[in-house]
Amino acid sequence: MSKSIIKAVHIAKKDAKIYFFKWPNITFGLSLPAIIYLAFSVGKPTEISSTVSGLVAMAALFGAGAIQSVALPLERATGTFDRLLTAPVSLTTIVIGKALGGLFFGIVLSIAYSLIVIPFSGTTLTNPFLFTFGVVLSAYAFSALGVCISAPFRDIPEAMPPATLIRVAMVFLSGVLIPVATLPSFLQTIAHLLPLTYAVDMLQQAMTGQIAAQLLLLDALALVAFSFFFSVIAVLILRRTLH
Amino acid sequence: MSPESAVKVSNLTKYYGDLLAVDHASFEVCRGEFFGLLGPNGAGKTTTIRMLTGQTRPTSGNAVVAGSDIAHQPIKAKERVGVVPEVSNLYDEMSAWDNLIFTAQLYDVPKDERDKRAKELLELFGLYERQKDRVGVFSRGMKRRLTIAAALIHRPDILFLDEPTTGLDVQSGRMIRNLIKELNESGTTIFLTTHYIEEADQLCQRVAIINQGKIIAVDNPEKLKATIEEHHIIEVSFSPVKDLNDKLRSLKHVSSVSRVGDKFRLHAEDASEVVPILIDFGRENNLRIMSINTLKPSLEDAFVQITGLSPEVMATEKDQVRREKSASVG
Repeated sequence: MSKSIIKAVHIAKKDAKIYFFKWPNITFGLSLPAIIYLAFSVGKPTEISSTVSGLVAMAALFGAGAIQSVALPLERATGTFDRLLTAPVSLTTIVIGKALGGLFFGIVLSIAYSLIVIPFSGTTLTNPFLFTFGVVLSAYAFSALGVCISAPFRDIPEAMPPATLIRVAMVFLSGVLIPVATLPSFLQTIAHLLPLTYAVDMLQQAMTGQIAAQLLLLDALALVAFSFFFSVIAVLILRRTLH
Repeated sequence: MSPESAVKVSNLTKYYGDLLAVDHASFEVCRGEFFGLLGPNGAGKTTTIRMLTGQTRPTSGNAVVAGSDIAHQPIKAKERVGVVPEVSNLYDEMSAWDNLIFTAQLYDVPKDERDKRAKELLELFGLYERQKDRVGVFSRGMKRRLTIAAALIHRPDILFLDEPTTGLDVQSGRMIRNLIKELNESGTTIFLTTHYIEEADQLCQRVAIINQGKIIAVDNPEKLKATIEEHHIIEVSFSPVKDLNDKLRSLKHVSSVSRVGDKFRLHAEDASEVVPILIDFGRENNLRIMSINTLKPSLEDAFVQITGLSPEVMATEKDQVRREKSASVG
């Protein structure tokens, strides 16, 4: 078990070394959250705490997901993924390693956004510990989602459109730009099936310090459950590609 | 599986959709053996190696590699195996050193051993001076050497090599062949796929011939040659050089003809019957016989006899096979 985790960390470090500065990561991970926010939220009356939590959650979503939209399809196209397949490493370890690689990028990007947005918005971060915990949980869930989405594809142009579409749709439905409570009831149901909804809620509670213990627990459990679910699906998809 | 067995393959079959890539392949490789899987491109060699090394799952059948069943204990099997694919699967963005260290980490090489082994291998393969360079700038031969080095970092019992000399210049090819030979002499079991008949003849203690996914024969190269020794081969060259395949094939007692450079190889049951006919043939067609020899059958002759394929098919490179396949699909 511990050996598998160590190998997963080695895979994550390798991905970080190779893919952190790839151009699609910079464009999708770094700029897309800001572009979406500027395009849809500037000038609209919104709570400043929800603006910050929404932007940071988006940074985690696009940052953590972007790296695996590039890494996995590229490795399968170039054959380097076979290096992992021929090594004594299980598919579960590979998926965890890939998700950890995305997690690092998601955390780095979320912290970068937090450091810019919080001072400029004039708000204060009430519970930094909970905020960091929320960023880590969210980034892992989004990274696992990224692995899951890119797992069936064998090149970047194929993997990018569905990955971007799913993430942008989540942004509109998860309370980042429009509060979930104002959505029609069927869209609210869909919103509760998306990990970003729980990430935004958790980060907002950390920002304001108005903590509802039950809701917070639900957010945390939902993000853990999504991480587990996406990882299992990613393993199943990769296993299927071996047939 | 006997304790002397390194690889035991039983009825291994692989379908890609409706395409049967490997058809109930069965063979055994002994420990310390230099074993070759010989066949034309598209015969199923790479698919076989991919199944044995965990890159794709068999549709049916099973295989035991290094004492572990690949279906039930794949990780245990992979721990004792090194894999050298036909095309480099190293990370171009990383340095030669980092590629070796990453591979060592995946194979649980102890931390205090990693640097030592990486240094030893880079020196052995003549890449130590380039250790910090990105692999992306390496030549094909350098990449192939580094891929072999990476496959050896955990000191495997069995080394799988898929077409290790394909696409390399003569000097790099010779260097790789010598390295593999030395590895085998030091006790590593070698499982090599190749479509170069001469390479299989020079290197392998035993050869399995595969065609259209089927294993047709498994034996020592010398025994395979002996199976066709009742056939005589006459090598003849004429001046001027012309395409005479069809005319020569129609001669009495000649069973088949192949062209090797400016010479023709005629297969017959008795060379003494064919030689006078050839002399008459030259005279009748105003051709001067430049040389005429009877030859011992080569592995290529055995291959031709066993598979019914022409040696030219073996010379067809993979890219060409792919183009032809996609053209036929299109």
